[in-house]
Amino acid sequence: MNNITQHIIIIGGGPAGLEAASSLGAAGYKVTVLEKEEQTGGKLRLWYKLFPDFRPSAEVQEYLANGQKMNSPEIITKAEVISITPEIDYQKVILADGQIFTADVVLIATGFQVFNAEKKEEYGYKIYDNVITSVDLEQQLKSGDAVKTVAGEIPQRIAFIHCVGSRDKKVGNIHCSRVCCITGVKQAIEVKEHLPKAEIFNFYMDMRMFGQNFEELYIEAQQKWGITFIRGRVSEIAENIDGTLQLKAEDTLSGRPMKMNFDLVVLLVGMVPAVGTDAIGKSAGLAFTAGNFLASNDTHFNQNETHTPGIFVTGTCREPLSVAETLTDARAATVRIISWLRDKELKSNN
Amino acid sequence: MGKLYDRLNQDIRFIEGLNGCMNCGVCTAICPAAEFYHYDPRVICDTVQSKDEKLIEALLRSETIWYCGECMSCKTRCPRNNTPGFIIMALRKLSQELGYFTDSEKGRQQFAIKRAIGENILRSGYCVNPDIVSPQMHPEQGPVWDWISRNTPEIMEKMGSNYKQEGVGGMRTIAPEVLAELNQIFEVTGCKTMFETIEKHSKHKADELGIEISDEGIGNEYFMTVFTDNNGTHNS
Repeated sequence: MNNITQHIIIIGGGPAGLEAASSLGAAGYKVTVLEKEEQTGGKLRLWYKLFPDFRPSAEVQEYLANGQKMNSPEIITKAEVISITPEIDYQKVILADGQIFTADVVLIATGFQVFNAEKKEEYGYKIYDNVITSVDLEQQLKSGDAVKTVAGEIPQRIAFIHCVGSRDKKVGNIHCSRVCCITGVKQAIEVKEHLPKAEIFNFYMDMRMFGQNFEELYIEAQQKWGITFIRGRVSEIAENIDGTLQLKAEDTLSGRPMKMNFDLVVLLVGMVPAVGTDAIGKSAGLAFTAGNFLASNDTHFNQNETHTPGIFVTGTCREPLSVAETLTDARAATVRIISWLRDKELKSNN
Repeated sequence: MGKLYDRLNQDIRFIEGLNGCMNCGVCTAICPAAEFYHYDPRVICDTVQSKDEKLIEALLRSETIWYCGECMSCKTRCPRNNTPGFIIMALRKLSQELGYFTDSEKGRQQFAIKRAIGENILRSGYCVNPDIVSPQMHPEQGPVWDWISRNTPEIMEKMGSNYKQEGVGGMRTIAPEVLAELNQIFEVTGCKTMFETIEKHSKHKADELGIEISDEGIGNEYFMTVFTDNNGTHNS
């Protein structure tokens, strides 16, 4: 472990980047995190509570901050990477302001951005006041105030619409964003806790309860909280004259088209790769998945290495992942990076 | 004859229209026909992709495939880029070819459409024009239509159309060489064959029911029967 001089640059200071920075720092490597925002933490900062156990997002942020304190990686904020150039023995990283960094390894952890719900115009986001996204709702819940309509009234009937921007060729995203199903269950329960008298409906295509305790929470939502799940993709939302919203769907399990009125509609927006990931990936000659995420060089054995030696990927820049999965993925990437660097050192010594 | 599914799969509209349906129901949720009829475009997709020959034959003989208005709203919404409206077009064509359309009340109306609009366009160059839409046959047009049809030349002149005149403009007489070209288009594209097929099966049905049918035009009992019959079950 002594005398390690090898240097790793991590692009992105969200959960994936910070967790990898801590692990690599603990292993004795010199680590630099380049974060384009003014603060690290990524999208975790937008979230109030996490599924499936309603753990405050702040706790995970605190955990990541502790990792930084113990292993003190170099963190540079407001550092927007525009390209990576693979050289023969090192990687060259160029920032938008012209600064150049070099490192033995680059780990890309640029994460995701939330699907822009305005692209699904038929759902009326930014057209109808009482259509909000799951991120907007998270902010409302975080503020501690009761969930309200724009007119300041307590909503009596609330709809959650699944798969907004996911599994949808019409917006160019055929991938499943994975976390929205369980987010819909979590948020429906949170709203019901705030507003016990409200009727809450979730409109879904499939409920993909893949994680530990996800299915249990789904059952709890139905049995304990009385939340209704209707299997049907919503075709469109229109605003009534009183500001309420009329929603059209088919209840596919009973085979009938239906129209229902709601006071508030929450769009469960999916994940797309963060802005800039595309340019960075292309600059380094990396491959992409169908959903334009960064592709790994092996689906089963090596999800964190790319086709370009010395460039690694982790977190939601390579596929939609939960926070827990992201942290696990970051640690897995760490192991691959360490063994890759040791191999390189052995070869250069021989 | 081959399997029905294989025959559907030779139709470009079917190939384009069905790309693996996951039954999300968004097509039915946007479908105007589904609001009024016993019609569910999602179920159409589900039935044809089952490749069940019996179910597909039942569909070809059903009222169901004739409820769609081909507005293509479904095309705008499907997250898998399916188009139930295209599938309906392929089903209707196969139903015409096999003569199954005469098994349903809505399907038998193919004969009325062929005799009215189909013959109008070849004869006059217009699918529909004011002289063709008689108030007796179209009470849904309301009492004003009766007045318009009695004063058509004067009204058309006042509206600035070139009614029944040569040259350019709306309502003009279509030139004989244009009509000849239209006829030829119908010939080479197979529309005439389709017309003949509809005629053949409709005549067979009329004979079976013992209803008088003529060789052309709308002045026959079978036309009036298929034009006006309504068993009242389509949207109840």
